[in-house]
Amino acid sequence: MAKRDVYKNRIELVQGTLDMLLLRTLQWGPQHGYGMVQALRVHSGEVLQVETGSLYPALHRLERQGWVRSEWKQTESNQRAKYYRITAAGKKQLSSDLGRWQQMVDAVAAIMQREPEGSDA
Amino acid sequence: MRLPWIRFAKQKDELNEELQAHLRMAMADRMERGESEDVARRNARREMGNIPLIEDVTREMWGGVWLERVLQDVRYALRQLRRAPGFAVTAMVTLSLGLAAAVAMYTVVDQVLLRPLPYRDAGSLVQITEMGKDGMPGWGNAFLDIAEWQARSHRLQGIAYYDVEGGPGHLNYLEGKDTSIGVSNATVSANLFATLGVQAAMGRTFLEGGNGAVRPEDAHTILLSDAIWRNAFAADPQILGRMVKVDGEAYTVIGVMPRGVAFPLTLAHPLVWVPMIPSSADKVRTRHETPHYETIARLASGASVAAAAHEMQEIQWDVAAQYTDQDNRDHISSIRVTRYEDTLVDDSVRKSLLALGGAAAVLWLIACVNVTSLLLARATARQREIAVRGALGASRGRIVQQLLIEGLMLSSAASLVGIVLATLTLRAFEHGLETQFGIHTVLAPNLRVLCVLLLLTVISALASSVWPALAVARAPIEPALRQGTAQSGTGRTQHRLRAALVVAEIAMSLTLLVACGLLLRTIYTMRHVPLGFRTDHVMVASMTIPSYRYANRDLYKDLYAPLLERVQHLPGVESASLMTDVPLGKDFRIVFSFGDGDGKTATDTRRSKIRAQARAVTPEIQKVFQFHMLKGRFFNDTDTATSLPVVVVNREFIREWEGEGSDPGKFLGTPLFGFRDKKQAVVVGVLDDDRQDGIAEPSQAEIEVCMPQITPGSTFYGPTSIAMSIAVRTERDPATVIPELRDVMRKASPELANSNFTTMEQVVEDSYGSQQLASRLLEIFGGTALVLCIAGIYGLLAYLVTQRTRELGIRIALGAQRVRLMAMVLRQAGGMLMAGLATGLLLAYATSRIVGTLLYGVKPHDPWTMAAVTLILLMGGLAAACIPARRAAGVDPMAALRSE
Repeated sequence: MAKRDVYKNRIELVQGTLDMLLLRTLQWGPQHGYGMVQALRVHSGEVLQVETGSLYPALHRLERQGWVRSEWKQTESNQRAKYYRITAAGKKQLSSDLGRWQQMVDAVAAIMQREPEGSDA
Repeated sequence: MRLPWIRFAKQKDELNEELQAHLRMAMADRMERGESEDVARRNARREMGNIPLIEDVTREMWGGVWLERVLQDVRYALRQLRRAPGFAVTAMVTLSLGLAAAVAMYTVVDQVLLRPLPYRDAGSLVQITEMGKDGMPGWGNAFLDIAEWQARSHRLQGIAYYDVEGGPGHLNYLEGKDTSIGVSNATVSANLFATLGVQAAMGRTFLEGGNGAVRPEDAHTILLSDAIWRNAFAADPQILGRMVKVDGEAYTVIGVMPRGVAFPLTLAHPLVWVPMIPSSADKVRTRHETPHYETIARLASGASVAAAAHEMQEIQWDVAAQYTDQDNRDHISSIRVTRYEDTLVDDSVRKSLLALGGAAAVLWLIACVNVTSLLLARATARQREIAVRGALGASRGRIVQQLLIEGLMLSSAASLVGIVLATLTLRAFEHGLETQFGIHTVLAPNLRVLCVLLLLTVISALASSVWPALAVARAPIEPALRQGTAQSGTGRTQHRLRAALVVAEIAMSLTLLVACGLLLRTIYTMRHVPLGFRTDHVMVASMTIPSYRYANRDLYKDLYAPLLERVQHLPGVESASLMTDVPLGKDFRIVFSFGDGDGKTATDTRRSKIRAQARAVTPEIQKVFQFHMLKGRFFNDTDTATSLPVVVVNREFIREWEGEGSDPGKFLGTPLFGFRDKKQAVVVGVLDDDRQDGIAEPSQAEIEVCMPQITPGSTFYGPTSIAMSIAVRTERDPATVIPELRDVMRKASPELANSNFTTMEQVVEDSYGSQQLASRLLEIFGGTALVLCIAGIYGLLAYLVTQRTRELGIRIALGAQRVRLMAMVLRQAGGMLMAGLATGLLLAYATSRIVGTLLYGVKPHDPWTMAAVTLILLMGGLAAACIPARRAAGVDPMAALRSE
């Protein structure tokens, strides 16, 4: 039960943003799946918790599309883990995703911030 | 199939390792934060979620999952089939029979009808033939006529011409430095190869002069076909410029044609081509003296055959006007333009092939229907298993896919067996197929045939398993799970569907059997046609010798007569004789026609139209074949080169010569035609009608002349130097005499050692023609159809009885009479049989015309055949129904009820 409370102030990811977030994470350097979950959690101020069930399908999909590449490496704690690295195509994809994301944010913001007309009441 | 599987396995392991690493890292972090190992593991696991599910979802991303699923289904299908071997084997054998018939027939059709010709754009090649007013094609076209066409036709291009020395069956001898080989020798115009669109593989073709003829400087050059170059000259790269002899005449080799190129295509022997250079005889138009050529041309682009024919006819009016002789003019006044492809296959051959192909297709359909019925039954039996899979989450699509894959596995296995069966069938019918359809290549499934097989396999699988698969997948899951025992009702529609399939099967089988029955009657009738001569203990061989070696000698006196003398004295030989062609043989034929007489009376015209078969024979022929004499005498030893020339004619000849109803006896002593030195040949005997061309062909007018009377210079000497056969009547089994015969013949001339001996019975057998072949094939197709059909009836009834065991048990327990139960099952069988037979008779009535061309002495709608076949199927069907009927009557009520 305690666990659930911890997650209370976390939000669901908007559809289609996971790919973008993962690619962005990888721009900071090669990372393994667990590392990416931690990075997203920390850098979002403990708000974003990516589910493993979404993470790995997404990573494998990105790899199939050629946006990331993977290799097995040792972690600092001397464990074998699969590291993902963003490719040139992935970077291009990220910038276009980012552009669309920005558009989306602006569009949503424009609608949400507009005062209802003639609603003085 | 192994490789992708290995790849998947490896990827799977890696994915698992990746997730485990994730789990370990999460645990380590938690333990660092102070959780105990147990708590850390539990929490990390919980946070992670369902690992197998994550794996599954992730694998979806790989894209190749469908393949993995297919492999899974294949393994599952194999397991299923292994678990029901009886079903698997029955279905496979059934399907393989159908596939084998279809593939075997398609192979033949492919070879005969769909053979790609070795020329560029062969579809636009046409053959041009001059015809008489009466529509009779002539012997060929005169050079001057061809030249006129070349000058004036716009719709035809590259009009080329050729002549095959001695006719298609004739053998010439090609001699190199140390080789001698039998060849076909075609005299061709220089533009022929350009018209065909083929070029020499080595060297060049003939130089072109005026009118497409060969330039005189190439007069003594020769082109070799690839086959000759390889067989006779061991593919010698230095062949160009070498000297070879054909029938004694010397030629220089100037080129070798590419592999597979032959023209004309109808020849049995490998080809050489020699140049056509117009002679003085070519510069006139006299029907009997001017040489004649076959003519081939290419349609100008955009021109149709009909348009070309129209244009040619216009030109031909003017051509005909240049013939001064009225009779000659009448013989060439019309013209026919035909696609070259279409001239290669006889219409009757095409029709009988298509009929047989159709029969094979019907058999294949029957097999598919049978397997569909089997699969339906099996799907019903497996309803529970499938319901369980559905309940566990398998989608309908997945279940259908799985069942389709099972069908595909079955039909793939069947196609493997089928191709073996097809090859065996082709091997078994090799002789018949090759003689009937003029196939000179090896009959074996080629790539195109394999493609068709693949297609048929897939269609078979789809046709037979889609329906059952959909039926099962659509069935609601819950009732099947709830009361899913063998006893549960499986829906009336499905039973009705299966009954309909069996009815269709009966109908199709009946159609096939009717065709088979009609051909059996045809063969029976043909076997009882009086041939007009004896065939037992007779052996014949056609002799081919390089006759040019005897150019200035009397062939008969120097070669044949001494040979005959020696053969007659061989032990075991009762009598022996020579003849230019064997009755019913297909190698050679002399057609004799008469001039127009002096007057232009109706009788003269009629007589000039007679096309008599002429045959030169020695007197002993009567002892060998024992032809039936009507009147007068046959030749004897008193008929010599110096005595009065005599001829023997047959009854049909007199009918045509004298008109209907004349007395053969009065015809004796009639002088018939000039034989030698103005001496007339006189009729001394009349033979009864006999069969010359084929059993199904009525007797034709025939003239026989006596060989000892023929000397160089007499009318018949020419033909006797082209072809000669020997016929031997033996006292014992003909085969035992062959070695000695060969020996004697080799001593007479070395080439004769290769003569092919056949018994006269085989010749007669071959002359039954396509009927014999068709009836044999249809016997097999019809027999298979009958078996499949009976199996289908049995299968359905047996299944129904098993399904109704409980109901039957209750009925018996309630006092139903066993006889009644039996009658109930038989009634069901009777219903299906009646419906099937009625449909089948209608079908047979509508389609039996297709085999019409093959029939002899029996009508396509012969009621007796239809009745007999119907009866056979009815008996067979009822017999098949008896077993399940008796089982229905024998149900033990206690056992049936207890088995619940």
